[in-house]
Amino acid sequence: MSLELFLSQVVPVRTKLFRFAYRLLGDEEDAKDITQDALMKVWAMQGKMMELQNLEAWCMRITRNLALDKIKSRKYRIADTLDKASELPALHQRNPHAATERNEVMNKVHAAINGLPEKYRNIMQLRDMDGLSYQEIAEALDIDVNEVKVNLHRARKSVREKLQNQQVYGL
Amino acid sequence: MPEKVYGKNYKINRYMDYKAISALLEKYWEGETSLAEEAELKAFFSEPPADLPEDLVEAAPLFQYIAAEAQFPAEPEWDMSFLQETPPQQAPARVVHMQPFRNWMKYAAIVLMLAGIGYAFRQHRETKLIAARQEAEERRAYMEAKKALALLSRNFNKGTDKMQQLSYFNTAVEKLQGSN
Repeated sequence: MSLELFLSQVVPVRTKLFRFAYRLLGDEEDAKDITQDALMKVWAMQGKMMELQNLEAWCMRITRNLALDKIKSRKYRIADTLDKASELPALHQRNPHAATERNEVMNKVHAAINGLPEKYRNIMQLRDMDGLSYQEIAEALDIDVNEVKVNLHRARKSVREKLQNQQVYGL
Repeated sequence: MPEKVYGKNYKINRYMDYKAISALLEKYWEGETSLAEEAELKAFFSEPPADLPEDLVEAAPLFQYIAAEAQFPAEPEWDMSFLQETPPQQAPARVVHMQPFRNWMKYAAIVLMLAGIGYAFRQHRETKLIAARQEAEERRAYMEAKKALALLSRNFNKGTDKMQQLSYFNTAVEKLQGSN
């Protein structure tokens, strides 16, 4: 019974859990470890698993709590260095100068998003990069749907202002 | 996004396209776009034309960044051996706890309602009894009064007879006096 439930409802969402952990931690290896731990924790709590209606939301919460614990215990921070942005695939490279300029622009966008308060950043990433609905974000972060909407608006507004102030235009 | 084929109204069509995208973009900044609208914006900015108006140029780097960030690292291999290590549990038999006093408010409401009905019924019966008693009293008083009036009437009639006799007598006297 519990194995069937695990295989039919938890295993299919592990990719989503991994992506969610990756968004929160910003590191592939840590995201893998946290997702693995979350899957094991869910399995260890089989009794509760069978009582719940929305297993996906519960799994997301477990993943989120484990990720937050990791952030707290190791004083984990997504590196503000812009290495990540520089690894982005350079699109439409016409010449080296254009590529450098493009990377510079991407670095500025990366800095603008990474400079957001954590809750704004997480919501913006889950919405804009992962395409989650307001309801899914609310369940994953254990907050109200209205709070998701308000924080998303503030996050985008803040990013827009930063990009305008830095005069980041064009591609 | 496939390149659009514009006719001789190239500039007008393009202008209208930009207008629609600008409106969507404003909704996006306000946090009011749906996932479908956001997908539309992402598709537009994935291959933007060269002559974008300023408000669209402003958003282009962000959407480029979003597109790049949406690419996740490859999903890792998962170690699912823990499924064999811990045996699966059967669903525990659902124990229904009998809690007779759980719905005490319901019972209290029923008791109160019954008490109310009983009280109302009793009041009604008492009112009826008092009314019947009152009616009997009134009937008795009526009978008494009737009896008294009958007595009075009888005595009054006796007086009338006497008066009538006196009246005959007076008439006879007057007649005799007149004839004399």
